Amino acid sequence: MDQIIEILIAACLVISGVFGIVGSYGLIKLNDPMSRLHAPTKATTLGVGGVLIASILHSMLSENHLSLHELLITLFLFLTAPITANFIAKAHIHRHETPETLPPAGEDQKWATHDIPQDNPAAD
Amino acid sequence: MSLFLIAALPFLGAVFPALLIRAGRNASSMAAGSVTLLALVGLLINAPAVIRGEVITARLDWLPWLGLNANFFLDGLGLLFAGLILGIGLLIILYARFYLSREDPMGQFYTYLLLFQGAMVGIVLSDNILLLLVFWELTSLSSFLLIGYWKHLPEGRQGARMALAVTGSGGLAMIGGMLILGNIVGSYDLTVILQNKELIQSSPLYLPALILILLGCFTKSAQFPFHFWLPHAMAAPTPVSAYLHSATMVKAGLFLMARMWPVLAGTSEWFYIVATTGLVTMLLGAVIALFKDDLKALLAFSTVSHLGLITMLLGFGTKVAAMAAVFHIVNHATFKAALFMTAGIVDHETHTRDIKKLGGLRHLMPLTFTIATIASLSMAGIPPFNGFLSKEKMLEETVHTVWMGSHYLVPALAVLAALFSAAYSFRYIWHVFMGPVRHSYPAHPHDPGPGLWLAPGFLVTLVVLIGLFPNTMVGPLVETAGNAVIGGGHEHFHAKIWHGFTPALYMSMIATVGGIALLMSQRRLAAVWDAARRPEAKEIFDALIAAVTRASQWFTDALHNGALTRYAAIFVVFTLALAGYAYSTGTMAAPTREMLPVSAMPIVGWICIMGATACVVAFHRNRLLALVLMGIVGLVVSMGFNYLSAPDLALTQISVEVVTIVLLLLALNFMPKETPVESTPARRIRDVVLSVTAGLGVGGLIYALLGRDFSAPSIADYHLENSYSGGGGTNVVNVILVDFRGFDTFGEITVLGIAAVVIYALTEAILSSRVRARLLNRVMDTPQAGDAHPLMMVVATRVMMPIALMVAAYIFFRGHNLPGGGFIAGLIAAIAVIMQYMASGFGWAAERQRIPYHGIIGSGVLVAAVTGMGAWFNGLPFLTSAFGYVHIEPLEEFELATAALFDLGVFLAVVGAVMLALESLARFAWQPGIIPEHPMDINPERDEDGPQTSGQEA
Repeated sequence: MDQIIEILIAACLVISGVFGIVGSYGLIKLNDPMSRLHAPTKATTLGVGGVLIASILHSMLSENHLSLHELLITLFLFLTAPITANFIAKAHIHRHETPETLPPAGEDQKWATHDIPQDNPAAD
Repeated sequence: MSLFLIAALPFLGAVFPALLIRAGRNASSMAAGSVTLLALVGLLINAPAVIRGEVITARLDWLPWLGLNANFFLDGLGLLFAGLILGIGLLIILYARFYLSREDPMGQFYTYLLLFQGAMVGIVLSDNILLLLVFWELTSLSSFLLIGYWKHLPEGRQGARMALAVTGSGGLAMIGGMLILGNIVGSYDLTVILQNKELIQSSPLYLPALILILLGCFTKSAQFPFHFWLPHAMAAPTPVSAYLHSATMVKAGLFLMARMWPVLAGTSEWFYIVATTGLVTMLLGAVIALFKDDLKALLAFSTVSHLGLITMLLGFGTKVAAMAAVFHIVNHATFKAALFMTAGIVDHETHTRDIKKLGGLRHLMPLTFTIATIASLSMAGIPPFNGFLSKEKMLEETVHTVWMGSHYLVPALAVLAALFSAAYSFRYIWHVFMGPVRHSYPAHPHDPGPGLWLAPGFLVTLVVLIGLFPNTMVGPLVETAGNAVIGGGHEHFHAKIWHGFTPALYMSMIATVGGIALLMSQRRLAAVWDAARRPEAKEIFDALIAAVTRASQWFTDALHNGALTRYAAIFVVFTLALAGYAYSTGTMAAPTREMLPVSAMPIVGWICIMGATACVVAFHRNRLLALVLMGIVGLVVSMGFNYLSAPDLALTQISVEVVTIVLLLLALNFMPKETPVESTPARRIRDVVLSVTAGLGVGGLIYALLGRDFSAPSIADYHLENSYSGGGGTNVVNVILVDFRGFDTFGEITVLGIAAVVIYALTEAILSSRVRARLLNRVMDTPQAGDAHPLMMVVATRVMMPIALMVAAYIFFRGHNLPGGGFIAGLIAAIAVIMQYMASGFGWAAERQRIPYHGIIGSGVLVAAVTGMGAWFNGLPFLTSAFGYVHIEPLEEFELATAALFDLGVFLAVVGAVMLALESLARFAWQPGIIPEHPMDINPERDEDGPQTSGQEA
């Protein structure tokens, strides 16, 4: 039983390591900022997630208690990672794209970042 | 009544007039009067014992290791002065009630007056020279408030400033003198000092101590050449002048000379400094007084002259002269207070104090005329009034005085001064009340109501009674006071009007006749006087002050030119020089500790921190980039703390880091994106050399320290051992913060709160200046993005806010035993709120924040203070913590510690300070219409209902 769990833990760590490398490599390899945005998400989700699962398993096996702190870390990661990505994307759109270079915004006229309200003098 | 109470009563009572003014001016003055009366009664209860020769004491150890104790004693001299201060104070309170007009803030007046009175009583009752100095400075401050009472008059403000500058700097000199005196004797207790005459006078430091103390006395008592502040202090309301210049403020210097007489007097230094100054002042004051056309200026210079007279008598150093001085102090107080009050009445009724516009008032104001005449004749030294008696004694003394071998100099000059004194006294009667009635008074004069004439009337009654029956009226009092001045030995006091044909009588007669003759020719002499060029004291003083201001301005500007680089350079060069000196003169022991093996983690951290620092140096002109890089440094440092087993520090560092970055980002918003190159290459090279040297030096110092054991035993062991048993917590860092070093922490949160309030005040000041318009018209240097408050961010921060607050609460509660505590919890709670500010915009979030941050800071400091004071109720010192363990079913046993309440204060102060600073900075960005109606810019729910209808929050 222990052997199986140990193998499981090792597997989790290896998987997370692989995804960490893949994410980091992608960050260098990919050219376009919008594509590059995808690479670190692998590292934060699967990469960190693998380590956390390994940690939970390890505490169950060797310390004989269920540790759920890791779940909180996951929760915060799931909350913050998308917002970070969202802001990076918005910054990119703001600084490097114009409404013409972007795909159509569906039912809206423009993408939100380009949608500057005219009555707001702070934004002119 | 205890002396403590007598000294404290005016201070305690000072609150009442200020509060009771809402109930009317009568209530306010009654409160001031009752307090003074109570203190006076308390004093008089002690009077019989003092006159029997006892000395009443009250002692309380205040700061014994400094020698500063609240020791009071009441002997004859103290009784005399305290009686004058409180008695005349009572009359002044009555007089001021009717003198001040409806527009004057009377509550304030009485509060200042009582503060001043308390300070004066404190001086005359102190038995500890350090305590006396405290009261001495208090009189300078409170008299500043009184003289400048009419804040709207520039003369009032300038006069008050001048009085404070002169008496305050004299006070500084006196502190030096008193400390020397205390060091010679080895005690700061006055009674001990007074018994060590030989020790003091044989000390080589006697002369410096004497000069310094006399500087204090002379400035306070307006002796030449410091006499000029007194006439300018006449810009104060007349009750203030009457009080300060008859019985109190200026008599403080005389009091101290009299008090110190037993140990300081009797030497030739004392005689030549004190008697000469007194003589010059007496003559000078009398001459100037004759040519002053302002009633109060005339009285002011006459006061200067009489103070000189008393100083001279004290300076003679003989026991009879000292007794005469004490007698004249009483007489001067009675007639001068009455004279000031009549001057006030004349001013009040005719609306002018210019003698040239007055005259003939005797028919219009018979009562005032009578009072003024009696008081003036007493001042002139005419029998049978009390002024005559003491003037006779003075002249008698001068006859026996030899100055530099001359038998005639002092008596001749004294007669001359008495002659001028008689002349200006007669002038006060003649030019104001005699002569034909005029039709050109600015108002229609008539005698005032009893409120104004009762007080001076009472005083002139005393003038007459003391003149007629000196031995019955004040004999015992003057005798005890005089004997207290003299110190050892017993001197009998006896005064009578008719001495027979003595030299003093002839001198008096010369003075009186000469005075009348002088008055007759006053108009012609005045023309000569006005034509003559004289040094104007005020101009000299102003020029001196301007020169001092220029000099300090130059000095300050040279050091502080506003360039931060210069301050840093001065600081670094100085520190380097100090360190270089220490290194070259000190020794260094060999390293005692082994090097630790280097593992992978520190190397990674080291590379990160070095890389980030190098990048900051390289990219420091791009401010945003520099900020990001500094963030990396901060994170690595907090990881380092964690690695080195300091989780508390790590938690603090990381939360401080977050708050700092947010605040700096806010500030960057208003600054250029790039730092321009401003300094010359040579200066940059200088800066590089300096910073590299200093950096290498600090690095080397730390390296050397880390390789060696402490030279003294560390205090860490004590804290580790006592943390749980003494403070009830296993988190030593937190126990140190809230218990062992609780007072430090209390000071720190107070400072933190003050800093935040200062930031708020600065913001407020800047935003009410022209900067506001520039901020409003500011054009962003880069285009702004839309969708400033995106949906995802708003939703996520809302989800996180309760969690973050819960984390803060968790960190707070576990703080006593595990890493955490009020400071970190406060930062986390602040971050939770800051997230809302960032997500939905400052304006939107601030509108939903109902508790002002000032209040949070204040309540934090208060909670901490109240917790600390709780220890008093158990008879323990401030901030002693208590803890216990309680067990309530079905909960497990838990600990309750007062330290947690103290920590709550820390928590609140931190939250309030951080948020107030942030709020202040954010206010710079305010623009009309910047506050959004909704928490997020694009709300899917809103679109369904149409853009106009939704006011809901998501």
